[in-house]
Amino acid sequence: MDWSLIGQGVIVTLELTALSAVLSLVVGIVVAVLRIAPNAALQWIGGIYTEFFRNIPLLVVLFFFYYALPNTGIALLRLSAFSCAVWGLGLYTAAYVAEVIRAGFNAVSKGNTEAARSLGLSFLQTIRYVQLPQALRSAIPPLGTLLIALLKNTSLASTITVADLFFQADFIGNRTFNPDILLIAGAVYVALTLPIAGAINLVERRWAIKR
Amino acid sequence: MTQQNQTAPARAIIQHPAVKWLLQALGAAAFILLVPLVFKMQWANFKPLFTATSLRFLSLGMLATIVVSIEAIILSLPLATLLALGRISPIKWISWPCIAFIEVLRSLPLLLLIFYINLRFPGLTIFADVSVGSKGSFIELLITSILSQGGMATMVALTFYTAAVNAELLRSGILSLERGQAEAARSLGLSYRQTMQHVILPQAYRRILAPLIAQFTILVKDTSLGAIIGFLELLKRGQILYQRDFNPMETLYVIALIYFVINYCLGLTQKLVARRQPTVPKTLTDNLADI
Repeated sequence: MDWSLIGQGVIVTLELTALSAVLSLVVGIVVAVLRIAPNAALQWIGGIYTEFFRNIPLLVVLFFFYYALPNTGIALLRLSAFSCAVWGLGLYTAAYVAEVIRAGFNAVSKGNTEAARSLGLSFLQTIRYVQLPQALRSAIPPLGTLLIALLKNTSLASTITVADLFFQADFIGNRTFNPDILLIAGAVYVALTLPIAGAINLVERRWAIKR
Repeated sequence: MTQQNQTAPARAIIQHPAVKWLLQALGAAAFILLVPLVFKMQWANFKPLFTATSLRFLSLGMLATIVVSIEAIILSLPLATLLALGRISPIKWISWPCIAFIEVLRSLPLLLLIFYINLRFPGLTIFADVSVGSKGSFIELLITSILSQGGMATMVALTFYTAAVNAELLRSGILSLERGQAEAARSLGLSYRQTMQHVILPQAYRRILAPLIAQFTILVKDTSLGAIIGFLELLKRGQILYQRDFNPMETLYVIALIYFVINYCLGLTQKLVARRQPTVPKTLTDNLADI
């Protein structure tokens, strides 16, 4: 059995998870801000984004990026399989991140926001200096759960030929006619989620606001 | 500032629920039409999708998706109840295996579970494998694709996975009940079994009804993973169509819209139920987010 393949797969899985987590956090914050914006049209755009991505399967998103976008003829949209996976996973997860952060915004007491606005801070300044720091802190536990779900979801990237952990395990399994290698890959996935769960606990104890 | 310049009647009209709903519907229609423009989709590529054969082919997939999701959620409930009761049991040799089962299943990627069951248990089907060209009546084709190897493997994997998630959900429902409920039932002389059956579980189930519908939405989405092992559900059938007609973008867009409509309706049902029933506090189900 080829352990180096599994090792390579783990690295790709971790890269995918890290990049799409960053992307989803950035996009998620933007969408959450849109949803609490003082303009009905902006709120509606944020709402459409979350509703759309929350109600379609991730696999459809990945297939759209990988099989459909190259057909537009736009050179910019001709992405490698890995980039497709990062964008697909990132944009999909961003919808859930946005919901979590919006809940965080709602948890910030109204007096805080009103005080900031009456001190002369603009809407974006209030978000940046008053609401977002508090919202992110109270959103740490659910964001952690999303990170673990994202790590599990990266296995779907194997379906668009990204050589991640699941892809390598399936490859070895097909070559040796022994699907039990998948169980080993499963154990590796569990082992990868454990340190994440531990780190979240640590961050939570240090920074989180109890809701 | 614009809001202050608006006269009171104008604001009243915009905020009227019917007008609001109409505006939102118009907006959604605009969005549905805008996406094809942005991605330069061609009307000629949409056409092959709206022929009678293609629609019949896709609706078979849609029904297969829905039926397998319903099977999985119904079959998962008895197992989930046992697991939840096992997990809160004070006896360690009952609770520990249940905890292990729940936690391991929840931290495995679902795709891995589906692949493993498909490869390890090749004899799940009671039919010979159906192929795309099979002939037969609508209902025959539906039943054979659901009971094919791919469909059965997907269903079994989803059942076990959903049982683990629902067990946690049910546990949060049970924990959200006041302790007095169980204590009162026991001191009235009800046995453990009677307490659970007549007092605790009915209330817990009512409280998790809305999150259960949310879980069903996730099931409908997760059924699409069956496409990878050859289960002829909605996504797989879409793939077959676009490989014939060379229109992946348009087909995937239509497929996405079908999933969206199904799940959006489920989401509305969930909101309706949550408004009528006492529901578990969201903080208890937060860590179950399973996407």
